[in-house]
Amino acid sequence: MNAPARSGLPAYRYLRGYALDPGFSTRLDTASINEVTYRIPFEKLDPGPAGEYVEVIDFDPASGCWYDPVDLSDERIASQGGLAPSEGNPQFHQQFVYAVAMKTIRHFERALGRKIIWYPRVMWSRKPGDDVKDVRWPRKYVHRLRIHPHAIREPNAYYDPEKKAVLFGYFDAANQFQGANYPGGLVFTCLSPDIVAHEMTHAILDSIHHRYLEETNPDVAAFHEGFADIVALLQRFTFNELVEHQLYASGGRMDRYTVLGELATQFGEALEGNRGALRGMIGRWNEKNEWEPLKPSPHDYVKNLECHDRGAVLVATIFDAFQRIYTFKTRDLLRIATSGTGVLPEGSVSRDLVHRLAGEAGEIAEHLLHICIRALDYCPPNDITFGSYFRALITADLDIAPEDENGYRIALIEAMRARGIFPARVNTLSVESLRWSSVSFTKKERDAIDWIADQMKNDIRALVETPDREELYKRSLKAQAKLHALLMGKQQVLLGPAQWESFLNKLGMTSLPVSQLFGKNSKKVRFLLHGKPFNNYTPAIEVHTVRPAFRAGREGRQIEQVIVTLTQRVTVDLGKDGEQKRMIFRGGCSLILSFGSLNTVEHVVVKNIKSYRRFRQQAAYMSGGGAEPSAAATSTYIRPAHGREMDFRRLHRH
Amino acid sequence: MPAHVKARITMYRMQELGDCFLLTFTAGRDVSRMLIDCGCFRNSGSSIARIKTVVADIKTTLDGAPLDVVAGTHQHNDHVNGFFHAEKEFRDIGVKQTFLSWLDNPEDRRAQEVGDKFHNLRKQIVQIRDGLHKKLRGARNAATRGTEAFQLLDGLLGFFGAQKNADGPPEVPAKGIGVLKKIGTVKPEYLKPGRSLDMPGLPAGTVRIHVLGPPRETELLYRKDPREGESYDRELAAASLHADRFLSAVAGKSDGSSRQEDNYPFNAEFKRTRPASGSALARVMKRYRHTGESWRTIDEDWMDQAGALALYLDTYTNNSSLALAIELVASRKVLLFAADAQTGNWLSWKNVKWDDPKVTTDSLIERTVFYKAGHHASHNATLPEVFDKMNHPDLVALIPVDKSDPNIKKDDGWKMPAEHLFEHLKKQTSNRVLQMDDRNPPECNPDKAAKGAWKKVGIKPKVTDLSITLDIKG
Repeated sequence: MNAPARSGLPAYRYLRGYALDPGFSTRLDTASINEVTYRIPFEKLDPGPAGEYVEVIDFDPASGCWYDPVDLSDERIASQGGLAPSEGNPQFHQQFVYAVAMKTIRHFERALGRKIIWYPRVMWSRKPGDDVKDVRWPRKYVHRLRIHPHAIREPNAYYDPEKKAVLFGYFDAANQFQGANYPGGLVFTCLSPDIVAHEMTHAILDSIHHRYLEETNPDVAAFHEGFADIVALLQRFTFNELVEHQLYASGGRMDRYTVLGELATQFGEALEGNRGALRGMIGRWNEKNEWEPLKPSPHDYVKNLECHDRGAVLVATIFDAFQRIYTFKTRDLLRIATSGTGVLPEGSVSRDLVHRLAGEAGEIAEHLLHICIRALDYCPPNDITFGSYFRALITADLDIAPEDENGYRIALIEAMRARGIFPARVNTLSVESLRWSSVSFTKKERDAIDWIADQMKNDIRALVETPDREELYKRSLKAQAKLHALLMGKQQVLLGPAQWESFLNKLGMTSLPVSQLFGKNSKKVRFLLHGKPFNNYTPAIEVHTVRPAFRAGREGRQIEQVIVTLTQRVTVDLGKDGEQKRMIFRGGCSLILSFGSLNTVEHVVVKNIKSYRRFRQQAAYMSGGGAEPSAAATSTYIRPAHGREMDFRRLHRH
Repeated sequence: MPAHVKARITMYRMQELGDCFLLTFTAGRDVSRMLIDCGCFRNSGSSIARIKTVVADIKTTLDGAPLDVVAGTHQHNDHVNGFFHAEKEFRDIGVKQTFLSWLDNPEDRRAQEVGDKFHNLRKQIVQIRDGLHKKLRGARNAATRGTEAFQLLDGLLGFFGAQKNADGPPEVPAKGIGVLKKIGTVKPEYLKPGRSLDMPGLPAGTVRIHVLGPPRETELLYRKDPREGESYDRELAAASLHADRFLSAVAGKSDGSSRQEDNYPFNAEFKRTRPASGSALARVMKRYRHTGESWRTIDEDWMDQAGALALYLDTYTNNSSLALAIELVASRKVLLFAADAQTGNWLSWKNVKWDDPKVTTDSLIERTVFYKAGHHASHNATLPEVFDKMNHPDLVALIPVDKSDPNIKKDDGWKMPAEHLFEHLKKQTSNRVLQMDDRNPPECNPDKAAKGAWKKVGIKPKVTDLSITLDIKG
């Protein structure tokens, strides 16, 4: 990613900031640990800060004013590790959002093994009734995500996928707002590292899986929310200072889950008001002011339908796995420290032990964070469910650490089981049945893949070696176009029509016209093309993304892969009484190819476009006729923004 | 053994969003007449004319008898502006007694605290709407976020009869309730959940009225989706603070800077409006204002908050609804009128402590044979977990909704009735569900497809231009 010191520039920039919401700084017991130093990759910066990935623009339209941009290249500031943390100085706010944003981006790039490129701007029509993307609207490269630290006057912060911007709000806290976190006064959401990481994750997730903005089932919005929380939460545990402090504060109780749980619960409370459903999923403080963990129930997943609640189930599951791994990995340390009993005496704790424990927690958090991120590449290109995410987690981790020496996968599976998350059509919750199965291609199909792979080899190599992000974007588009041409141009030569259909089916796609898409059930569906009833077309195959991934594994492994997503879509009319109501139904797959020998298709993650069952579920969900109506279908007064896409602003407001 | 009762329910057709239900209970020679709400969404001339037509019909129907009781459920125009606009006519008919919620009780301290804050918030929101209006009129370009927020805000203020281009002050519904406080010949009953009363005008024990809501735990008033352990004070205080700051931003900019604004959120010394040319800020501003980047400016996004505040106010008001279960004692049948209660109000029912130990909420719900769909059948005014228990085989429902109402008819209009709820209603009533506008789907046509289903429960709906009437034998 960012080239190290080759050019004579330093590898890192050090910036001072908060580890917790500044509200914590005013409480004596946390004041000492709340200021930490953020280490982020060095890059040249314009005042803003404006760098390669993000530009901070500090316009406060509600107040009708601007704030001077901080110049982190100014040696008077740079030499001091940036500006000193201060709630009253807008320039520090700019520096802080920049630092947390870059730290989050950095985690993703390291886990994914490639550069983050913002999802391009789609120049869709704004005319009423034209809000469904029915044609290929032109797309435009977006260089930098914009960050507006003081954009709105409300307890909210959100990623706006249309503007490619993250907007942060500020507000007056009521006296008891957020428990004891805020003693009153002004609260800036851009000063909460949890909130900044959460919002940045929405933006980054959108850059990887743009179609997760389409709420096609009750898990999609929950996944966006839950995943953003997972990243923010695990990022919090990478601050060893915090964990150490918490361990001290809890004295001899560190052999229980309490320490981590308390930090996680505080996290939920800090986000409360912004979104906050995490509270009450992990644990809570009882009347005696002691933290107690909440017992998971196998009904957690099925019972919680509202997207924040369901998202919290996802976070709680990952956090549970984190605790299990921590317990597993620190047992020996505790035994050593207690002459074999594993039970710590009450009273003061050894400094060395605390240091080692915190170090373990930090390392596990980072590993787990990277597993969670990496799993994104193993997810289907649309219509995500928790079940498929967990299968992706297991598969991704198997690829990177076949031995599972520290029990990460077992911990994840145990945590899933405890909350009743069962992927569809998986018989047992075992590693073997959870991992995505590999597809058996025929000899002829393998030859075809081989040939295409050969043709693509140089283009993929070029992608890995391109340092400039815009150039990378352009080359990716070219690679997509070339792959598309190879796939379509050579279909007859390589396979012949009958085998072509069977090959596509293995990829979740079809060569049949939509009138035969769902077999005899096709008759019950009103297909559209460009807004008009029509059922005699074959949905176009789209090479949605081609992405290389070079990553480091846990057991010293180097993984070189290419992830290709192929998709198809049909548009149907769900309306009644002559009123048209369009819905897009997509299918396709994510292909994970190993790079060393490109012709090995390691995994195919399929969303079958021919599945009438999935079609009916989506139609019921989106039209509000099903048992679990979507948010878009149920909001009484508010028109959902742009057809059926998620609106983070409203998602975050309660 | 109490006498059997005949209950006649008349839903008046208000020709826009609006509730007005006349209930007549006949037990032998005793007759009692109850009116639940009388209102139109708007205060326009045609709305007032319709109200007067309806009230005139009530007078004719009553044939000289007064109303034994009038219930005003909550302070929204579409429920109570009739009492303001047709006060004289109601006085002419005569009202013996009124039922209001405990929130309207001038002697209840908690009610007064809530009321003051509510009044204040409503005032702030009207000011915000007016400020936004002024601001948007001055804007050169089509202001999307601001315009959307304004439209939502203005639409919701419509429930107070206070849309910008309508002709009422936001106090009309409050005045409607005010009329009800003094129109009765005896003092009003301010009802708290858990109380059970006899229907005035009938022998004791013939028809009982059980009060389900609004909840006393005030935190439930503010939340459409409350979670456990959240305090109400925080919600209300926060909403008001936000409204205050928002208002100060709206006002601060249309009237020139105010002192309060000067040092908010940062000290004045940090604030820049005109940067020195060539400065770093000037370069940032140039990038921001670049025409090629105009698609991502955020000048108006902050205004969207106005809509959120208006939704707060709306949710609160709907949740303050007086929710009544009327029991025909001999047949044990229950008629459920929950006004516009939203999730918070419905959720509180299961925790109601009944004065009469024989009453349980579940039993009332299970015995319900008539349901007045909440809030024009919007999605969150019928709580699924409660509605699921409303599974009496004779269940019928009326929806006071007129789909020709501009709020519903407009592009992307209000979702009333909500599709999935309507499906649920149809299923649970075997298609015995009628809309106020008489534009029922074919499967609910009471003269055709649904005729048999109605016959099965022994009811023949009578639909005229003015009203829809059901006779329930109880």
